[in-house]
Amino acid sequence: VASVEPVARTERKVYSVSAFNRGVARYIGKLPAVWIEGEVTELRRNPAWANVFLTLKDPRTGATLKVTIARRTFDRLELDLEEGESVHVAGRAEMYELKGELGLRATTVERIGEGAHLVALEQLKRRLAEEGLFAATRKRSLPRVPQAVGVLTGADAAARGDLLTTIGRRFPATKIVVCETRVQGRGAAEAICAGLRRLGTHAEVDVVVIARGGGSFEDLLPFSSELVVRAVAACPVPVVSAVGHEQDTPLCDLAADARAATPTAAAALVVPDLEELRLTLETCRRRLALSVRTLLDRDATKVARTGDRLRAAPRLLLERRRAALDRTGAHLQALSPLATLGRGYAIVRADSEALREASAVAVGTPLDIELASGSLGARVEEVTP
Amino acid sequence: VSERSFEELQRELEDVVARLERGDVPVDDAIALFRRGEELYRACVERLQAAELRIEELAPTDSGKA
Repeated sequence: VASVEPVARTERKVYSVSAFNRGVARYIGKLPAVWIEGEVTELRRNPAWANVFLTLKDPRTGATLKVTIARRTFDRLELDLEEGESVHVAGRAEMYELKGELGLRATTVERIGEGAHLVALEQLKRRLAEEGLFAATRKRSLPRVPQAVGVLTGADAAARGDLLTTIGRRFPATKIVVCETRVQGRGAAEAICAGLRRLGTHAEVDVVVIARGGGSFEDLLPFSSELVVRAVAACPVPVVSAVGHEQDTPLCDLAADARAATPTAAAALVVPDLEELRLTLETCRRRLALSVRTLLDRDATKVARTGDRLRAAPRLLLERRRAALDRTGAHLQALSPLATLGRGYAIVRADSEALREASAVAVGTPLDIELASGSLGARVEEVTP
Repeated sequence: VSERSFEELQRELEDVVARLERGDVPVDDAIALFRRGEELYRACVERLQAAELRIEELAPTDSGKA
């Protein structure tokens, strides 16, 4: 048994690398056996080797763990395991002394059943919902007429074809940017995220459609991965999710700004119908012409009325003046001495001055007497002051 | 007009119509608004006449192998 004793060099306690590794390895070896869940990556099996090696990856954080399992044990499990699959591994922590590497010595591996996936999905869904990632308030509205539609799709000819054909039929003047990527199996989640990033940051793309036809529960799992759900929520432009069939609800559907049951339905969401749009525009134009005419007509009527009033104004003024004049005339009439003369009075003038006192004249002064009708010339014969 | 999106143009056209329909615009403004509306309408129609589907394929990357 190799020792973990320090080497005697000086008074300082110094260990050799091997001794240190051995010591840590022994310490770690005392840890209890555990179950660990992760995604299988870097699976290496060689019939000539005693062990099978694989790396378990935490799909959330990307943390990894090296796993070693005896080849015979592994083969007996008959798992036909592929990279990208989620598994439960039972084992103990182990330190590979020569390299000082920590790993897991596995005793068994189990593929995660649909049940376990569903539970994990439910938990993830609840956690993300609590975080507000699916909130209605986060949903953005889609552009009415997109500058360019980003399409994220797998090598799925049907979904892609349906989407492109429908977009082309509804609104031929569309630009489409297609990003074809891995959508299932190993690395699919990362690939989908990378595709979303590329489309989301494309200069022209202002809406992204994720188009993925139907598939098995496991095939659609990447679209429920936390990475993808977060990438959809964080996409700088609105995202329409058209993943799987009607009955599937991958979590990316909940984070997307709109959900379409089929690629065809997605096309109808992202581009308007050209004919409808033309009709809307024509209606708009008719309303434009009609409203301006109504407005001008109304104004013309107002102008015409004002004109009438303008023309009527002098006549009215004249009439008013005449009426006023008539009144003044009547008044004048009342004041006129002629009316008094009419009652038998006379005006006596001497030197064109109306006489008020007898003493103002002398005997013999010629007088002018005005009557209501005609006048008399006379001479003073007697003065009585 | 040319560098604005179809959507912006269409929205402005609808605004113009709505203003004219409200009817509280002086005549001079109304005529200017009408001219603007016509211009917007023509710009919108022109956009709709543009070409056919353009498809750009992004080159595959190895980011999927992460």
